[in-house]
Amino acid sequence: MNPDIARLTARTLLGQRRTILVVLLALLPVAIALLYRFAAPADADPERFAARALLGGIVTTTILPLVTLIFATGAFGQDIEDGTAVYLLATPVPRRDIVLARFLVAWAASLAALLPAAVAAGLIVLGGSGPGIVAGFAVGIAAGSFVYAAAFTWLSIATSRALVAGLLYVFLWEGTLSGLFSGIRFLSIRQYATGIAGAFFDLPASVFQPRLEPAPAAVLAALAAALMLLLAVRRLQRWEAGEAA
Amino acid sequence: MSGGSPPAIELRGVSRWYGNVVAVNDVSFEVGPGVTGLLGPNGAGKSTILHMAAGFLRPSAGDVRILGEPAWRNPGIYRRLGLVPEREAVYGFLTGREFVELAARLHRLPDPAAAAERAIALVDMDAAAGRPCGTYSKGMKQRIKIAAALVHDPQVLILDEPFNGADPRQRLHLMDLFRRMAAEGRAILYSSHILEEVERLADTVLVIVAGRLAASGDYRQIRALMTDRPHAFTVRSSDDRALAARLLAEPAIRGVAFDDGRLEVRADGLLAAARALPAAARAAGVTLYEVRPTDESLESVFAYLVRR
Repeated sequence: MNPDIARLTARTLLGQRRTILVVLLALLPVAIALLYRFAAPADADPERFAARALLGGIVTTTILPLVTLIFATGAFGQDIEDGTAVYLLATPVPRRDIVLARFLVAWAASLAALLPAAVAAGLIVLGGSGPGIVAGFAVGIAAGSFVYAAAFTWLSIATSRALVAGLLYVFLWEGTLSGLFSGIRFLSIRQYATGIAGAFFDLPASVFQPRLEPAPAAVLAALAAALMLLLAVRRLQRWEAGEAA
Repeated sequence: MSGGSPPAIELRGVSRWYGNVVAVNDVSFEVGPGVTGLLGPNGAGKSTILHMAAGFLRPSAGDVRILGEPAWRNPGIYRRLGLVPEREAVYGFLTGREFVELAARLHRLPDPAAAAERAIALVDMDAAAGRPCGTYSKGMKQRIKIAAALVHDPQVLILDEPFNGADPRQRLHLMDLFRRMAAEGRAILYSSHILEEVERLADTVLVIVAGRLAASGDYRQIRALMTDRPHAFTVRSSDDRALAARLLAEPAIRGVAFDDGRLEVRADGLLAAARALPAAARAAGVTLYEVRPTDESLESVFAYLVRR
């Protein structure tokens, strides 16, 4: 990884107005958890709520992909769009290093926004019980964010409409179509994340049932991330000036 | 090229098309040490040629080389090549100094800070180097981009419309800088759609019109071609009809016509007209009030060069 490009990417992300929106979005689970804590009925099941509705629900299905999408497209898309990418590309730095630096910063930024809020939300809902659930989703979110960041980094280089393409993937492919065709779980980053999270706790199937076992989920996540990064590097090697102009 | 060393920039039968649109059509040229101007009207294909030369656009056909190495998909060439793109965008949150130093670091220079200071001084940006690039004027952005492209002291420099936004003083300063760099043996290729910018700086000129190389060579020869082309003027005088009759006797005058009551004169060339018009006026006893060229646009000059 090239530290200069990583620093530049971090400053790019910190300077963007949408970063504030992302942080607010990432804090949403904490607000929901507090609401649950103070307004849930007495017979509510915290484990069920944490695993199904909060961490396995809104966090994994919506907040995780959105936060990572915004950071990954912010890390790369901007440069490609306004032409400043030329200043990085007109240097002998290998394209692989440029992609890795941007990807890792986007991933790190996503983790920084997602993990503390998700862990805090889980702890607020569960209190001291079910520590495996919080740890499991922390790992699942980290893994999911890794694969999403790789995929959205590739999208940012491949298309000037990466944000739209990313939203379509998250909400149409993973959100709608995966419910209709069970085979899609093999091509769903969300299912990799929940599959990996499921390795850390044991809940009844009626409460939480990942569609992928942990081992295949981890293998598929690793393969998908590697493939996306490879595609991103190849795409950047063939990037032409004026493509997004 | 002398001594068998490869040309700084070499295009061989290079074409580039986008779908059915041909942006650059079978262009071949070599650029050696010195300043070479790529001249042509807007949309002629100058930027496409420069992007291909700089390795940022794949030629649809032909071969592009920098110092003997392929330009496309070869980041190694940037060790010896500097590029100043036309687009204005720079990292607005970085100061000028940080921007140039970033370029120095990416080139893995041994002392990036010193290299950045040197390059900033070259473009006369010392005073503003501590300000964020986002606060710069167009001309300042242009100069800081040039500093970033010069920071690793490249042998070949490619600049797309480098004088855009520069005020006359900055323009002279940059021209002086490019001349000095060329005198040190570097090859500089820059594009412009402004004749005077090329006239004042370039030793060699490549004229691009509608994606084709219309003329190339020493600037003075091309300037002569441009000067000697047929010119048209509208003329106002104390007696247009008497002047028209007398002008027809001048060998350098190709024809006269009256359009809407105005006398239009076509001459063989600018200098020929400059001699024939006053001579004819004197002989006819007519006073010339106004002589106005009607087709001095760059496009018409280029169109003439293409027809040749």
